[in-house]
Amino acid sequence: MSLFWQTLICGLLLGGVYALIAIGMTLIMGVMKIINLAHGALVMIGMYITYVCFHYWGIDPYIAIFISMPALFFLGCLIQKYSINVLIGKESILPENQVLLTVGIMLVLTETMRLIFGSDYKSVHTSYTGTSFFIGDVSVSIPMAISFVIAMVFTYALHIFLTKTDIGRSIRATAQDKEAAILMGVNTNKITIVTFGLGSALAAAGGTLLVPIYYLFPDIGHAFVAKSFIITILGGMGSTMGALFGGLTLGIAESFGATYISMELKDVVGFVIFIIVLLFLPGGFKSLTKR
Amino acid sequence: MLRVNNIDVYYGEVQALWEVSLQVSEGEYVALLGANGAGKTTTLNTISGLLRPKKGNIEFLGQDLSHVPAYKTAEMGIAHVPEARRLFPEMTVEENLIMGSLPKRAKEKRKESMDWIFTLFPRLKERRHQEAGTLSGGEQQMLAIGRGLMLRPKLLMLDEPSLGLAPFLVDEVFKIIKKINEEGITILLVEQNVMHALNSCTKAYILESGRITLQGRGKDLLSNEHVREAYLGI
Ligand SMILES: Nc1ncnc2c1ncn2[C@@H]1O[C@H](COP(=O)(O)OP(=O)(O)O)[C@@H](O)[C@H]1O
Ligand SMILES: [Mg+2]
Repeated sequence: MSLFWQTLICGLLLGGVYALIAIGMTLIMGVMKIINLAHGALVMIGMYITYVCFHYWGIDPYIAIFISMPALFFLGCLIQKYSINVLIGKESILPENQVLLTVGIMLVLTETMRLIFGSDYKSVHTSYTGTSFFIGDVSVSIPMAISFVIAMVFTYALHIFLTKTDIGRSIRATAQDKEAAILMGVNTNKITIVTFGLGSALAAAGGTLLVPIYYLFPDIGHAFVAKSFIITILGGMGSTMGALFGGLTLGIAESFGATYISMELKDVVGFVIFIIVLLFLPGGFKSLTKR
Repeated sequence: MLRVNNIDVYYGEVQALWEVSLQVSEGEYVALLGANGAGKTTTLNTISGLLRPKKGNIEFLGQDLSHVPAYKTAEMGIAHVPEARRLFPEMTVEENLIMGSLPKRAKEKRKESMDWIFTLFPRLKERRHQEAGTLSGGEQQMLAIGRGLMLRPKLLMLDEPSLGLAPFLVDEVFKIIKKINEEGITILLVEQNVMHALNSCTKAYILESGRITLQGRGKDLLSNEHVREAYLGI
């Protein structure tokens, strides 16, 4: 029985971090109506920033979040302003091609990191790496628990931001009806830039939180694009709350898959859940909260 | 207050408006009437900057709007209640109202404006924590008008507010528009419900296939031969 609880808690903790990353993708999808396929690469950049902070300057990964988030916010704003929005201005280019552009951005970011750091696996070793505490006879990894708590705090803070501030509400309004938002006086062009920045910052936060748990390499982003995409669809596209549940579900599913089926097949379990939800709940978890 | 000067508007290669001109003075209640597809919505969308005229220009309070981005027209005092309401469906009634008061001047009066709107539309107060998408058609229209009023606008533009409403609600909506006008807000109303509109407006323009064909006082147009035949079926 303790193996069951062990698996559940481990999945839940990792799922919380997945959720944070996926919420970033969901935000961007809501406003831009595109899948940001560079999202995983942004997670990866966040991880490398954290690695550099620790390796060269001795900054604790959990402190490095205050560096990786603003840095990626800035990078995200630049990408939106000087790359994606430029494409939107061209009538001859189909909106679908924005997705292709994000693939290009993903490749540039990934290869740049490979150029700088090489392809080999890196990891950071902190004083709390590998430590754990016990609830009954279930051992819980300390860095995983810290990462989970921070991820949930950010998720909650984002929720407050989106519902209680004018900028947050403007982001949601733009996602729901862009033209109506313009009539309300929302500079939707600016909102797309801020949203991409915010989504990127969340990707970075997720990346940083994974560093004490995971190893990193330039291609690690691909795994997170796939996960975020699954979570976004699971949650019902554009729904932050849905993405939170989607993330926790995927984390738990992967964890059970790894424990009870096999380590190699854990990603398959995620896809199976994905297909089951699509078959029986096509609107994602979001549709459960609607009458 | 508002001057639309000889505008030509296109959708790509297709022309939708030909030399449309109209004037709205402070405190007036002006109606822009015409059949489906005449170009009424196109005219309003051009005024609020969502579309740009190929020829001609628009002035508001003496300022040329040619280079003013669409999102700034709200700040200047133009509230546009768009066709089909265009509420934010997954936001609550209260959040939709808040969205109507983003510009600085309106934001300062947010609380006060909301109280005013809740006295104007008591239904909205009861439903203030409900998502806009779950409201009935009539309530949605009230909310759309309320959201426009949250701006404390100098000019309120309404695009077919009576569309799709039950007859008793149509009367209600026209009464409220009249009341808003009497509180000093200038109105530019777009309607297909010609009878109702002519009865309540001070001045009206008739738009036919993208051109203004008639204009005059509401009462005068009511007795106009062409209007009676084409729009009132008399
Ligand atoms: N987005 C659009 N693209 C192309 N043509 C349009 C578009 N919107 C309206 N039109 C055309 O412009 C003309 C005027 O439409 P509109 O302004 O919506 O009329 P109204 O509001 O009076 O019903 C119509 O012929 C309509 O087909
Ligand atoms: Mg119309």
